[in-house]
Amino acid sequence: MAAEPKKGIDTTKNPVPFEMAQIPGPEMAKTYMPKVMGAIIKKAKRPLLVVGAELLDDPAMFDKVVEIGKMGIPIAATAHSMKGFVERGYTDNVYMIGLHPLTSYLRFEDWKGLDGKGQYDLVIFTGIFYKFANAMFSALKNFNRNIKRVSIDRYYHVNADMTFGNLAFEPDNYLAAIDELIAAMKK
Amino acid sequence: MVKTEGSFAVEDMKNVQINIGAVVKEADEWDQPMGPFPKPGVATLRDWDFKLANRYKIFYAPADDTCTLCTYGPCDLTGNKQGACGLDMAGYCGKIVLIACLMGTCAHSAHGRHLHHWCIEKFGNLKFDMGDEILVDSPVYQTIMGSKPTDLKGFGEGLNYLEEEVVQLMAATHTGQEGYYGDFESKALHAGMLDLLGMEICDMLQIVAYDMPRGAADAPLVEIGMGTMDQNKGVLIAYGHNLAAGAEAMLYAENNNLWEKVDIGGVCCTAHDLNRIGLGAGSNLPKGIGTKPKVAGAMGWWRKMVRSGVMDCIMVDEQCVYCNVLADSQKRKIPVIATTDKIMLGLPDRTNDPVDAIVDDLVNFKMPGVAILDPTKAGEVGIRVAIAVKPKRAEAKAQNLLTEAQFKADLDKCTQCNKCAFVCPPHIKISDLISEAKKGNLEAFSGMYEICVGCQRCEEACPQGINILDLYEYANRQYVKDQKFLMRSGRGPARDTEIRKVGAPIVLGTIPGVIALVGCSNYPKGTKEAYIMAKEFADRGYIVVTSGCMAMDMSLYKNEEGKTIWEQYEGGFDGRNVCNTGSCVSNANIADAAIKVATIFAHRNHRANFDDIADYILSKVGACGVAWGPYSQKAAAIATGCNRLGIPVVVQPHSVMYRRSFMGRHDKPEDWMVIDARDGSMQQIEPAPEAMLYIAESMEEALTEMAKLCLRPSDNSMGRMIKLTHWCEISEKYLGKLPPDWHEYVRAVPDLPLKWRDQMMKELEEKHGWKVDWKAKKFISGPLRPADVSFDPTNIPRKIRAKK
Repeated sequence: MAAEPKKGIDTTKNPVPFEMAQIPGPEMAKTYMPKVMGAIIKKAKRPLLVVGAELLDDPAMFDKVVEIGKMGIPIAATAHSMKGFVERGYTDNVYMIGLHPLTSYLRFEDWKGLDGKGQYDLVIFTGIFYKFANAMFSALKNFNRNIKRVSIDRYYHVNADMTFGNLAFEPDNYLAAIDELIAAMKK
Repeated sequence: MVKTEGSFAVEDMKNVQINIGAVVKEADEWDQPMGPFPKPGVATLRDWDFKLANRYKIFYAPADDTCTLCTYGPCDLTGNKQGACGLDMAGYCGKIVLIACLMGTCAHSAHGRHLHHWCIEKFGNLKFDMGDEILVDSPVYQTIMGSKPTDLKGFGEGLNYLEEEVVQLMAATHTGQEGYYGDFESKALHAGMLDLLGMEICDMLQIVAYDMPRGAADAPLVEIGMGTMDQNKGVLIAYGHNLAAGAEAMLYAENNNLWEKVDIGGVCCTAHDLNRIGLGAGSNLPKGIGTKPKVAGAMGWWRKMVRSGVMDCIMVDEQCVYCNVLADSQKRKIPVIATTDKIMLGLPDRTNDPVDAIVDDLVNFKMPGVAILDPTKAGEVGIRVAIAVKPKRAEAKAQNLLTEAQFKADLDKCTQCNKCAFVCPPHIKISDLISEAKKGNLEAFSGMYEICVGCQRCEEACPQGINILDLYEYANRQYVKDQKFLMRSGRGPARDTEIRKVGAPIVLGTIPGVIALVGCSNYPKGTKEAYIMAKEFADRGYIVVTSGCMAMDMSLYKNEEGKTIWEQYEGGFDGRNVCNTGSCVSNANIADAAIKVATIFAHRNHRANFDDIADYILSKVGACGVAWGPYSQKAAAIATGCNRLGIPVVVQPHSVMYRRSFMGRHDKPEDWMVIDARDGSMQQIEPAPEAMLYIAESMEEALTEMAKLCLRPSDNSMGRMIKLTHWCEISEKYLGKLPPDWHEYVRAVPDLPLKWRDQMMKELEEKHGWKVDWKAKKFISGPLRPADVSFDPTNIPRKIRAKK
């Protein structure tokens, strides 16, 4: 019999930047429980899930990303993460773009989005090289505060609005937290 | 023009002095008229900078949200707030960018100033002569200064100009000076341009003074790698960028027949330059002496080298020297000699002491190191100490290498707290390596050796005090012994004849691009990516140019036939070649080559005509710089200088620490309007090149972007087809899919890659609404503009030949 999936993972603990010296200033990300984060993502009008190449090293998480995509949230496949979507045969609402050009567009209010339907109101980052994601969050934090910045990665992302605490070394808990988040989005 | 300056006093007339500011006379040998911008000041090229910034939007990713530069601070600038002085976050980022670029520019040009003094002192005022094959011999200098140096002293004018500009730029960073981010960036671009000048002066001085190769595609292969350091000899390491003391050590070894007793290994760019000495056409120095020293390795290998115990004495000169070099060396009883006033490490200045006394003190460990600011004396001391100290430090060397028992004891200390992983730049999970090693599997440690950047942050973070780099050393002893490869010596500039051959194919696109792989060793995923990148583009017929640590790191791999990259490809400035231009300052030769395409192939006047040349390069020369491991501020300055010259650059994800990039917007057609110089009409072009400074997350993304950034509006259909083919193939190979925006670059059916032509035409019709005449194989409507081989795009109104 398969083990019961873990529930009630406390993702608010351990708010330490994955690179410890990444202390930007007075405004630091708050940690949230997966249920709350899922509910907030669900409420967004124009969310965008942004994924990076680290996802290729974590097939279980990649599958969960596809699951989120199937719920109707468009996906920006940055770096070479597109490979994983092609392999899974899921490319429906997946857009291939580098994180740098994507963030460059996100900072402009008049950008029409990857689908031409308008600027996003919430971005969700996962699977992106920490320092790079951190810097791109910083660009949005400082130059377009109309977009809510959410990290569902295993790291405490200090320049996000909403993030988990550090789960970098707790893979099972991390995946369980993502399951809870997806469940909350489905409610 | 040649300028002479001076003053004289009229005899017998007291208190009368006639000052002559400058006598300006036309140099006979230069038929180009003076361009509009000789010795441009801080604001002279501002219009050009703003044109670039208008198309390539300034993008900031702040590394911190507070400003602490003055006593008002810290000021919270989060969300682009203003600080007490009125500077907002964008302005603050711009200020930091300018300061960083100035650091880089100053490092190169101060190096040049030192060489200017030293080379004239040592060799006299030699004629500046790059040989018959290189008549356009100092393109950056000529483009900026509007004059040509004719001898070593002549370069002083360029240095004087540069130093004045740097002071003006630095002044603008003071509190209460410049306040607009766009102007900070214009100033940063100015600093970057000055950096190109400083690098070129530096390289030209040393090429002439030290008889380095002048564009030799067949420059000799030299030994590279830690394993090449002969452990039966005293090993002297020359580490940094300024060859002066290392060259003197070589000459001392040569003149005293000591090569049997001593090995000299260069680290970082000093290695490149020592290996270029005496390989040129001159007769100042013993012929071929540059093949005698070895390249110990790039700067990313430094700490691994120290831990491996391969060296007996260290001479440091300047730039990229780890600040704890003395502490690391002292522990292992490796004497250190500081040879320039840039880095003195708190050591006593023994410049004026007798050599015997200094050698005695170092060999008997009476002091851990000395500063000797006379390169000749430093060179002699270095050689004598390396030989004499070797037996004396044997015990200390052995004591610093872990035994099996010590290795195991260190493994046992690990509590798996993962604090090391929290600070490791390439995210190596060191606790996993330790767990594997505990099981007796050392492969985990050896597999990560090339990925570890040697930053030592893990050791600083470890609460147990485990010397993690020592664990790597223990697990990689055989690798170190086997690290023996070959590297082609730095060849210097491209020859004029090479430019004549490749000029048209580059501008028309039939050579798909020039890929310049430059910079340091802070790679996101290891040294091998340097090799993969070079090979991918060389195999595809691009001109691959490289320099500095990246040239060294790509040498550490072989193909299935056992050949290094230098043995797989020839070293010319040509398609399907890999050419090593030399050290960090030799990066100027890459800018030189781009300028020479404009001036030699296209007959553009480059004299004091910077914006015109940059405009030509931006529109027509499909070159892309790549700094895949940049760590220093010099890399920031080089990239910024290339950007002002119209050359886009791709950097790795750690480069976000540079804070600023330049990104174009595909969704703004008005940003892509250019002038057709034939009649002054405006024409929209495809977004090519789409960015000036692009940060890629992975090598796979970088490779794809590099190919894309070689696209230029001037490509003819054949050229565009070739470039699109490579870009699409690389995208498919590394990203798994064709790029989503390939259609933006199609002007006519012949632009389309042959292998996907029908499929793409169908997609254009169905997905993008283009009208296709299938019988005639033509587009009826759809493309942004027609392919027009005589289209002459420019961004500069004065280039219009005849107004409509």
